[in-house]
Amino acid sequence: MGVIARLASGADVPVFPVVAAGGRLAAEALRLLPGVRVEDTPRAATVLVVVGRLTRALLHPALVVHDQLPQPRATVWMPIGVDEAGDPEGLLSAFPSVTTVGAGDTAGLRTVFADLVSGVRASDSPALPDMEPAHWRGVGPYGHGGAGMTGGVPFGRPLPARAPDPDGLELDQLPLQLGPLHPGLPPGLVLHVGLQGDVVRHAEVGANPYQSWPGDPAPGPLDTATFVDALRLPTPVADLELARARHHLRWVAQALRLHGLEALGLRVAALGGSLSPTDRCTVQAVTRRLAGSRSLAWATAGVGVTDGGLLDGIETRLETGPVRRAAGDTGDARSDDPAYQGLGFEPVVHQGADAWARLRQRLAEATQAMDLAERAGMRVRDPGPALEGPRGTIRLDAAMPSTALCELLPALLAGSEWGDAVTTVASLDLDVEEAALARSGSAPASGGRIAGTPTGSGHQNGGRPGAGAR
Amino acid sequence: MLLVGATLGLGAYAVAVLDGVGARVAAGGRLRLMDIAAGPLRRAALLARTSRSTTERPDLQAWALAPAIVAGMAAAAVAAVPFGPGIAVADVDDGIVLFGAAMAVVMVGVYLHGWSANSPMPLVGGYRFIALALSYEMPLALVLIAAALPAESLAVGAIVESQHDLWNVVRQPLGLPLYLVAGTGLAFWGPLNGADGPDLAGGTSAEVSGPALLAWELARRFVLVAVAVVGAAVFLGGWQGPILPGPAWMALKTLALLAVLVWAGHRLARVRLERFVVVAWAVLIPLALVDVFVSGALAL
Repeated sequence: MGVIARLASGADVPVFPVVAAGGRLAAEALRLLPGVRVEDTPRAATVLVVVGRLTRALLHPALVVHDQLPQPRATVWMPIGVDEAGDPEGLLSAFPSVTTVGAGDTAGLRTVFADLVSGVRASDSPALPDMEPAHWRGVGPYGHGGAGMTGGVPFGRPLPARAPDPDGLELDQLPLQLGPLHPGLPPGLVLHVGLQGDVVRHAEVGANPYQSWPGDPAPGPLDTATFVDALRLPTPVADLELARARHHLRWVAQALRLHGLEALGLRVAALGGSLSPTDRCTVQAVTRRLAGSRSLAWATAGVGVTDGGLLDGIETRLETGPVRRAAGDTGDARSDDPAYQGLGFEPVVHQGADAWARLRQRLAEATQAMDLAERAGMRVRDPGPALEGPRGTIRLDAAMPSTALCELLPALLAGSEWGDAVTTVASLDLDVEEAALARSGSAPASGGRIAGTPTGSGHQNGGRPGAGAR
Repeated sequence: MLLVGATLGLGAYAVAVLDGVGARVAAGGRLRLMDIAAGPLRRAALLARTSRSTTERPDLQAWALAPAIVAGMAAAAVAAVPFGPGIAVADVDDGIVLFGAAMAVVMVGVYLHGWSANSPMPLVGGYRFIALALSYEMPLALVLIAAALPAESLAVGAIVESQHDLWNVVRQPLGLPLYLVAGTGLAFWGPLNGADGPDLAGGTSAEVSGPALLAWELARRFVLVAVAVVGAAVFLGGWQGPILPGPAWMALKTLALLAVLVWAGHRLARVRLERFVVVAWAVLIPLALVDVFVSGALAL
């Protein structure tokens, strides 16, 4: 092995994660692994890491991203939960080669990487044929199918069409699908946007890639599994509140990354990952520091304002949650929860209804949760029909909060710059997988997976990314 | 030539190491100096051994040219700076104008990099840089003019000598802060990284890999180094200082400015572009004008 190869095999492993069903927590934890570098673009990565159970709708985007990795490249699968039927449909066989590595197994990841760089392991061949999605020759005077020089879909790529901008000018508007693997959006979120330069003119939420089809295994485990399970099982209040603090710190870490403060985010993520009741003062210190940050205030104040009845104008009801409380609403299911009586619980509320208020709201709730966990002692919450989760009220028989949060997006994003749109989406803390689960109308069961029919392998479009119920 | 190459090369490595230290400190992790020192070299080796990506119908010539333009402009800027009495590649009569012009051409390089990939995210990154560039260029040009007034010359060497008694950072307290804001923007670094940010999946570099990515990351760090080198010469007295030889002082002052820029990158959140433009025109440019008028009145 030459000097360059030896140097290269010692590099941090550049990975691009594909967050599949149940993989969100493990995918976020990748960033904390020493010697692993999570990249913003597949072009900069060497190892594609599929975390969790791949769904049919995620397969095609994952294969496209796979082929975008430069050579040498490898694919690694991190299944979540050992005894689960991780890939009942055999979707992973569409990849040229997949090595299974346990979640968080840095050594396994390193071995794959070192073998690849030193040439012991062959680089993955493309998974999809390299061809135009459609032919150039369409209709119209220039063959692109549009009118004049704009419009049309040459090679299956829609060209911009003219549309008025806020100043009354007619400007090009580019129709674009972003997600489900865009690093600036929550995993799985698909946005169909019309972009005029950097400005989002309109945005619609696309098909949910975690949506289960008949015969599919149940989604999950969700990142809010502790709370969902507490609907059915007696749970110590201290456990719930610690899980809440952990959830909010996780969210803060992701938000900081998108605000260009990745290193600071890692510190918060590490705190959240190993959170114990004795970390109360540390959480308080983090809260004080971030809530006092002028540059964060500057980046988030006035962004994604949920005023003017926006929160009540959506189809699914958003009962409570940090997004509502950051808009001055005192609603909180814990106020009526017998398990919280006598703990001195008062809902925390912020004014402003913008991304800055939501950031401070979650920081304050994390601190409050640490206090409540300490005061709750051994108190146990009995199963009940409703419970305050970290995103809002969770009920056995109603949609999860993320469903409502997704419905907010079109109205919130229209007219904002793309950077502000990313800030807005992040500030809602929505989880696409949780939203997929809500549509079935019933609360999830933790177990009870049904194996689906295995689809044929090969390089065909097993995905159908445009399909799905919506 | 060697001087310029060594300055940019060592400077870029220093940026990578400083950035590694800054990231570890901000993340609250242990400082493993060996890893931090070797990390940039390992990553460079990996990128050198990785294949180049292509997209559907890219503008290949412009794509290859973009990092060369950016790196070349950084080199041109550094060439005009003296590292000691008489030690300069080309201490031209209007070196400060050359620097300003070179930084304006960086804009072309960044936009080309975004344009030529024929892909939406890089293109938006390129747009963003163009949209913001004037907001950086104006204060930059103004504070440099202010620094040239006491020297009564546009040559960087003359500006360095004019600071024999008093550094410009003291004489013109508005100068250096405004200059660093503009410089951060020109290198699309930290809080002003609109062109290559994570919200655009890497922006103008979203579609480049391997050697092309290495070239781009180097070129971008070269701009940061050029900003620090010129800043050290124009505001911190350049090679002047007791005991140590001139080049050593230049190196120290450049490293100090790089440390400030890297530290800011880990401390300050990405700014909102629209708001930054408003602040640039309503606050930064007027302040830069005040800097020019006051410096001019004092120089009379």
